Amino acid sequence: MKKLLAVILSVIITMNMSIISLAAEDITQDSQEQSGETNINYNIGLTYTVTIPASVTFTDSEKSVERGLQASNVFINEGTSLHVKISSLNDFKLKCGEGYIDYSILYNSNKAPEGNNYTILTVGNGDTAGWVILRFTTELDKKHAKYAGNYTDTLTFTVSVD
Amino acid sequence: MNRECEKDGNSIKVKRLLLLILLILLILTISTVIILFLIRINSDNTAIVVVPNENISGGVGLVIDYDAKNSMLSKNDNTPEQGVAISGYSSMTVPANTDKITVDFYNPEENAELYYLTFELRLYNDNGQDYEVLYTSGLVEPGKHIEQITLSHGLEKGRYDAVIHVQPYRMNEEKTLTNNADMRIALIVK
Repeated sequence: MKKLLAVILSVIITMNMSIISLAAEDITQDSQEQSGETNINYNIGLTYTVTIPASVTFTDSEKSVERGLQASNVFINEGTSLHVKISSLNDFKLKCGEGYIDYSILYNSNKAPEGNNYTILTVGNGDTAGWVILRFTTELDKKHAKYAGNYTDTLTFTVSVD
Repeated sequence: MNRECEKDGNSIKVKRLLLLILLILLILTISTVIILFLIRINSDNTAIVVVPNENISGGVGLVIDYDAKNSMLSKNDNTPEQGVAISGYSSMTVPANTDKITVDFYNPEENAELYYLTFELRLYNDNGQDYEVLYTSGLVEPGKHIEQITLSHGLEKGRYDAVIHVQPYRMNEEKTLTNNADMRIALIVK
């Protein structure tokens, strides 16, 4: 009889412990004790995409051309900005051999880059995109372009985040 | 003798009563366990509920606006040629004294059928003018990544000024060069 009692008591105690564990984990809107703790993370990696003008072609009938420069999907650290500078291989001249043709760039309607490697676009303060229109203009001056040929220049857009 | 028999009889009655109480307790306990178990498996026991963005109302959650691609390039009908999209970098961390490193040089899908890209990793000297080329890639098709590269040599621990020079090429037979981009980065060697 004592053994039977001992077995039954053991079963009851064990099952009561299960009840405690089952009841302790759930926190619902109806629970009196509404507290719990977890960590929720969303790590946004530093990213951005810059779209640069591939090329500009002047013709006799089109001596002023617009191109866009834009930064999109800009996710950078707080307190930093994305900067895009423009520089020219030939110091903003179209060259062919010894000959050259001057051209100019205006951005934001009327500003000209003040020399090579000049900042023309800044995106910061939490903005996720920015853009600028570049207007390329030339006047064919045969004083320095005495010969036929393909007069070219190459632009480099330098991007930094700081 | 009768008293002893009476005592034994009382003892047996007490034990039976105790056993009965215990059995009732056991039945109640089993019932409780079963009820709790059924409630548990029928309830939604998810601790964190992820709500789709469209269902988040003001102030409930942080909604990230990925609609940053509204491009004045795509809206500008006066632009006959699509620009070259180039993914950005700000820093790279690589192990010291090894020439095989992991990177992510990527030609965005936006350049599909328009531009290949090549990538050149340049290490700048202290004067900021001269540089050494550590790596040059071949043509990378739009949508493709380069993830493993071999440098011309490994680097000592330190922080270096570097540039990823990105040179686009038109996807035509001549593969003509276009304007290009330099991404200034901090090359961190650990």
